[in-house]
Amino acid sequence: MDILSDIKVLELAHSLSGAFCAKLLADQGANTVKVEPPGWGDPARREPPFINGIPDPDSSTIFLAFNTNKRGITLDIEQPQGRKLLLRLVADTDVLIESYPPGHLESLDLGYQVLRETNAKLVVSSITYFGQTGPYRDYQGGDLVVQALGGFLNAVTGSADRPPMGTTLEQMEITAARNGAIAIMAALLQRRQSGEGQQIDLSTMEAAVSTPSGLIQPYSFTGRSPKRGGSDGNVMDGMHLPTKDGEVTLTTAGTGGRPMEAWSEFLEEPRLLDPKFATRPSRLENWEELHILVAPKLALWNNLDLMHETMARGLVIGLVQNPQQVVDSPHLAERGYFVEIDHPEAGSLKYPSPGFLMDEENPMEGSKAAPTLGEHNSEILGGELGLSAEELGQLRASQII
Amino acid sequence: MRADMPQNQILEGVRVLTLEQVHALPWGTSFLADLGAQVIRVESSAHLQDRKAGPFPDGRPSQEWWNEGGNLAYFGTRNKQSLCMDVATPQGKEAFLKLAKNCDIVTDNFRPGTMERFGFDHESLAKLNPRIITLSSSAYGYTGPWRRAGSRARTVDATCGMSYLTGYEDGPSYRASNNYMDHSVGNNVAYALLLALYQRNKTGEGMRIDLTMQETGVSAIGPAILETQRGITRSRLGCGHLWKSPHNVFPCRGSDRWIAIAVSTDEEWQRLQKAMDEPLWAADSRFETAQGRWNHRHHLGDLLSEWTQTQDDQELMNHLQSNGVAAGAVLTAEDLVANPHLGERGYIEEFENVNAPQAGPRKYAGRPFRMEGVSFAIRHVAALGEHNVETLRDVAGLSDDEITTLANEGIISTQPLPTETPP
Repeated sequence: MDILSDIKVLELAHSLSGAFCAKLLADQGANTVKVEPPGWGDPARREPPFINGIPDPDSSTIFLAFNTNKRGITLDIEQPQGRKLLLRLVADTDVLIESYPPGHLESLDLGYQVLRETNAKLVVSSITYFGQTGPYRDYQGGDLVVQALGGFLNAVTGSADRPPMGTTLEQMEITAARNGAIAIMAALLQRRQSGEGQQIDLSTMEAAVSTPSGLIQPYSFTGRSPKRGGSDGNVMDGMHLPTKDGEVTLTTAGTGGRPMEAWSEFLEEPRLLDPKFATRPSRLENWEELHILVAPKLALWNNLDLMHETMARGLVIGLVQNPQQVVDSPHLAERGYFVEIDHPEAGSLKYPSPGFLMDEENPMEGSKAAPTLGEHNSEILGGELGLSAEELGQLRASQII
Repeated sequence: MRADMPQNQILEGVRVLTLEQVHALPWGTSFLADLGAQVIRVESSAHLQDRKAGPFPDGRPSQEWWNEGGNLAYFGTRNKQSLCMDVATPQGKEAFLKLAKNCDIVTDNFRPGTMERFGFDHESLAKLNPRIITLSSSAYGYTGPWRRAGSRARTVDATCGMSYLTGYEDGPSYRASNNYMDHSVGNNVAYALLLALYQRNKTGEGMRIDLTMQETGVSAIGPAILETQRGITRSRLGCGHLWKSPHNVFPCRGSDRWIAIAVSTDEEWQRLQKAMDEPLWAADSRFETAQGRWNHRHHLGDLLSEWTQTQDDQELMNHLQSNGVAAGAVLTAEDLVANPHLGERGYIEEFENVNAPQAGPRKYAGRPFRMEGVSFAIRHVAALGEHNVETLRDVAGLSDDEITTLANEGIISTQPLPTETPP
């Protein structure tokens, strides 16, 4: 599809949010160059686990997953020559994504004003944990810290009588990145009208606050802060219950307002009709008894059979699938969801696509794997910027690339 | 619109017609509405669940409950228009098609099949309007064996693999969230629609988008998807980390008060020791290396908790941060509203809904990004059917007489049906 094939993106790689944001654009065909510091490159390259079990800058799973369809160069922008080369790249770039601590690019004389003087059409997206202003701007971040400060830890998952519990796999970084992609698209559409670029200040903490529906406005309307524990004792609407080959979570949806009648019939367990299970509060109150009735019945089912039978009756469940079950999913296979991509270190693997088909096509068909460290130095700095082999050699010798 | 608010121009002239319920899709189209698109939300007076969802002022719905909910203002009809029209009737269907003819985007989040039953599927609409972009946001998409399955956000957290990976250390799997996936999907909806508009600017052609909640969820756990294909399993760690320690929440003074502390390098560990005034226990050789700290993370956590549990979470955070240690108090909604950082950034916005004066001013989270000259504030929250006449006249091209007839026949309305039970 390559919707963004006319857009050039530079990613100054320091954060997962920046990497995922640039990936969202690259997966739609944007010509995306990841600029990494020489040495080990993006810190994500050091992040275990490694796909072959051996630490190597090209085989961190998080790096592989978040950097598809990008080309990669190494460049030390803290050295004057590196800075100059970056500005030459900026001159012919549409979007620059960066995640340095606020003020760092200014200290290298690469602040927004300088970038703008180089290229008035440039969209600069700064994605940092706390944003460019405010008393926390220089604070140290991280996904867990932002889950805490963003209100997510206290309210979203975990049990009411246990400590706050985090959500897996850096979801705040991912949420910030999704918001970044929206803001960048808006800026690109605006640029069509104004002819000018834009600076975007995106805060991961704020992305965390705005993401669950139920934080600020419920507190403002009711005076009560939402708190974790929504699945505690919630047999029919939140707990995970074992099946023969996995787990499932039930819902009361699709039952026409008569959940216990519908589930009693489906599970062939008439005792579910007991009045003490008739309302949500009474089910919570008697959850242990309810659990004893429901769990053995579900344990008779295989996951996929349970899914098909409930679907046929309009009941709504969620199979708690492990990643392997997701990879093996017949449903996703029929939709052509995963794209197979080859990589020199990682080999051939199935990668997730963005989550939408456009005109029945997967936009990630024909994707390329994450770049190895400095893979495109010659192609981009030589071929596209026109540096000679000699100049490239000199840059390598002074460790600028 | 308030006069002192800059008017967004970015999507001026773009018309979105949306049949949307619950959460994910309304969240997605609210971004387009913020950016200045004319988003016409078609509602049915017989299905007002979203307007019943609240939250209501002081927890009590008033007589005009249908216009006062907090979720309605935060994303439901935020900066949108409301057309309350029964599209299941022949007259309603005809008016809908007239609207679609003059819109750029039509979105829905019905189960696959419903739009076709109404005659609103992409092929039918594209015949009327060749440049149309349609997007359906569903649990599992329009193809594949699960296409008819319904969902809730949390069932999608389950089927996408996220909930399996979520849980306390060594504990069972745990529902990842109640509605994180609604928001992720909504964000993906906004992104996909902006891409489609960008494409149409270049080619002049419309597009069909089949967006799914499950697949959006899988795209958020990419590393685990790669790992499993090489036999690597990712263990549940609660607030823990694969190799960092201390990396967890630790108790603070007060009821259910906690601080998150995340230490990665030896240098950061030394900063933490300094911030703690170099206690003897921290000099233990077992804690000297990252591997040692991780292996003994439970013991280390217990010792650290003894130090944190007598302290105020936010003061401790400031103290740790001033020593260069990554730390964050585990904030509640009440804390966030009073938070000095968000306050200085003007992040929390106050909005008074003119359609629900009894609710008074209330606070909302802002958008997490700022762009010069673009306001993402809540400007207006549409009351039920507030834009019936305006949309049918100006977009569908109906005459005043035709609109009056629709109103007399009960096809359009501005109130719930008399049989509707209040929330």
